[in-house]
Amino acid sequence: MSIMDHNGGSVIAMVGKDCVAIASDLRLGNQALGISSNFQRIFPVTDRIYLGLPGLATDVATLHERLRFRLNMYTIKEEREIEPETFAHLVSSTLYEHRFGPYFIEPVMAGMSKTPSGGLKPFIAATDLIGCLNFAKDFVVAGTASSKLYGVAEGLWEPDLEPEDLFETISQTLMNAVDRDAFSGWGGIVHVITKDKVITRTLKARMD
Amino acid sequence: MNSFVERYSTTSATGQLRRAQRLADEEDEFSDAAWGSSAGFGNIVKGSPSFMVPNTPDPTSFLRLHTDDHADPSCRIKIQHGTTTLAFRFQGGVIVAVDSRATAGSYIASGTVKKVIEINPYLLGTMAGGAADCQYWETYLGMHCRLHELRNRERISVSAASKYLSNLVYSYKGMGLSMGTMVCGWDKTGPAVFYVDSDGTRLKGDIFSVGSGSTFAYGVLDQGYRWDLTDEEAQELGRRSIYAAGHRDAYSGNTCNLYHVKEDGWKFIGNYDLAQLHNQGYGYEHRVEGRSSANPPEVVATA
Amino acid sequence: MASADGGAYSYSLTVFSPSGKLVQIEHALAAVAQGTTSLGIKATNGIVIATEKKTSSILIDDSVIEKVATICPNIGIVYSGMGPDFRILVTKARKSAQAYWKIYGEYPPTRVLTQEIATVMQQATQSGGVRPYGVSLLVAGWDNHRGPSLYQVDPSGSFWAWKASAIGKNMINAKTFLEKRYNDDISLEDAIHTALLTLKEGFEGQMTEKTIEIGIVTVPTPAELEEGKIGGETGRPRPTFRKLSEEEVRDYLAL
Repeated sequence: MSIMDHNGGSVIAMVGKDCVAIASDLRLGNQALGISSNFQRIFPVTDRIYLGLPGLATDVATLHERLRFRLNMYTIKEEREIEPETFAHLVSSTLYEHRFGPYFIEPVMAGMSKTPSGGLKPFIAATDLIGCLNFAKDFVVAGTASSKLYGVAEGLWEPDLEPEDLFETISQTLMNAVDRDAFSGWGGIVHVITKDKVITRTLKARMD
Repeated sequence: MNSFVERYSTTSATGQLRRAQRLADEEDEFSDAAWGSSAGFGNIVKGSPSFMVPNTPDPTSFLRLHTDDHADPSCRIKIQHGTTTLAFRFQGGVIVAVDSRATAGSYIASGTVKKVIEINPYLLGTMAGGAADCQYWETYLGMHCRLHELRNRERISVSAASKYLSNLVYSYKGMGLSMGTMVCGWDKTGPAVFYVDSDGTRLKGDIFSVGSGSTFAYGVLDQGYRWDLTDEEAQELGRRSIYAAGHRDAYSGNTCNLYHVKEDGWKFIGNYDLAQLHNQGYGYEHRVEGRSSANPPEVVATA
Repeated sequence: MASADGGAYSYSLTVFSPSGKLVQIEHALAAVAQGTTSLGIKATNGIVIATEKKTSSILIDDSVIEKVATICPNIGIVYSGMGPDFRILVTKARKSAQAYWKIYGEYPPTRVLTQEIATVMQQATQSGGVRPYGVSLLVAGWDNHRGPSLYQVDPSGSFWAWKASAIGKNMINAKTFLEKRYNDDISLEDAIHTALLTLKEGFEGQMTEKTIEIGIVTVPTPAELEEGKIGGETGRPRPTFRKLSEEEVRDYLAL
């Protein structure tokens, strides 16, 4: 059994029209044994960047703290909030620093990035556990249910979804995918990031 | 030469394979392996079916290489690894309750598996371990139970039926059969439950639970068990135990199939979606009635 | 022993004099004041940095001398003072810019790079066995966050942002000149001419494309920005800092 599956858990991010969504299950397990149904693995990075860290739970905490440290240093030094693209590179280089003894995490990022004309445009990205960046235009997935998430998302996602429709799409994708995964589930959480606000909702799920 | 080959083939494994292939080619002749059809009479007369064997010098290790879960957990030949099954005896008969989840690795291959095998109107078998092994051998057991009835003009006892199965799987010991089953029924002695597994273990008892979720089921079962449970209480206990296992164990869940064996044979009580059970009162949220660490009760100040 | 040149305190870099000075730093500033004049002017649509390139002999091949240096595609620097010290700082600054790129996938903002250089220069005022860098720098760059910005860094490690500044031999006169000529809506073209006029004030000998070096920062147009920071098929960032070629300098001098 892979160490990546030890605690279970999955994250997905999707692009919509002038919005992005990121969602995760809430299960923390020890192999087959379910431990917690309220394990948060998605963290706000700035007001408009969210970061999901599926993988080994101990590394979720450590990597989150490490990135928080680096981000605070960046914010103070540069006197500005980090942009999603820049943050994705920071995550990538932080992970590659541990190329030969990696954190067992496959981060997923979602945010709204500034355009030169002053607007905001959706941004999502994911990396593998040693930091290989994947900038996708539609959706990114990671975690024990990743293969199932790919399948459902491939069928449900469509371009230019409005925030409420994107919420419905990502929620259905998550719920149906984790119901086919033994190590994900036990509740879910969704964040929809729009230009002016973040909508956070928890999902009622099968508890088996 | 391998003892299995010596026992079950007329010549060598290679020879048998050749013979089987020749038989398969000639359609109006019957393969020895097809005991389930009318052609199987030949086997029954011989007493046991015979199987085609891998065409290698050591078929046992060949099998183990391709089917053994310890060597390769992602192996697809057996899918029924995680499970929760339970059966218990009480004043009103036997309760048999199982989940319905089938997993292959972390993939939930099915949520609607029938893990109770209806051997005959008075006998039930549960399924844990290899799904095919359980299904095949318990159906085969059913056939022999019927033959016993015809020969002896009375139903086979649960004890005898379980021993038949136990002896059968023991004869294949080391060849990779994987079963953990409870043979449940009602005979002259009353309600009876026997645990039989592919190691050859056979145990008589009042309460058994088998599978990856068995520890969770035992917890609820032991806590709520009494001999003088009413029928409704006993059924509720079985259902509640499977719910608990389905909740905590990643490899168990989806639905619960509940059976009740009485003097006049078994009765299927129902199929219950665990998600519905959770929302309709089994769930933690309902049991704490709004009082939990997330919403602690008011502390009354003491003087 | 107390004397006008700092006496006993003038040799040990890391010891304050009783009057609260690190005399070596003042000596370093004196070295800068002897160096050739350099200046920078921030315009509405860009920045110009310029310097004179003097050689002690006509036999020196001046085409190899570089006094305005590109640090990364969006930042360039010019110096007054000691050439060899500048070279070391250029190398360090370029490495720092590349290290930043490696982490963040983009080049540093002008302020961050200036801070980085200033830190290197400050450390040379507090470490044993070293002397301060004998240069002042003008750092010109453009970035998304702050737009065009012009900084001056001194041997002490202090740095300031300027609208226009001059360093080196004629800095007092040059600054006075710039104060008169500068206004807030000067264009880059005008700024380049002002830069040349300022240099002319204290120039000894002929001002030619061989004796003048100019670097400019151009602010990208909204259309260029919308296209993205990646330029063309090369996949490289579009440069916002570049040095003017000899031909371009000749053309500006002719006007």
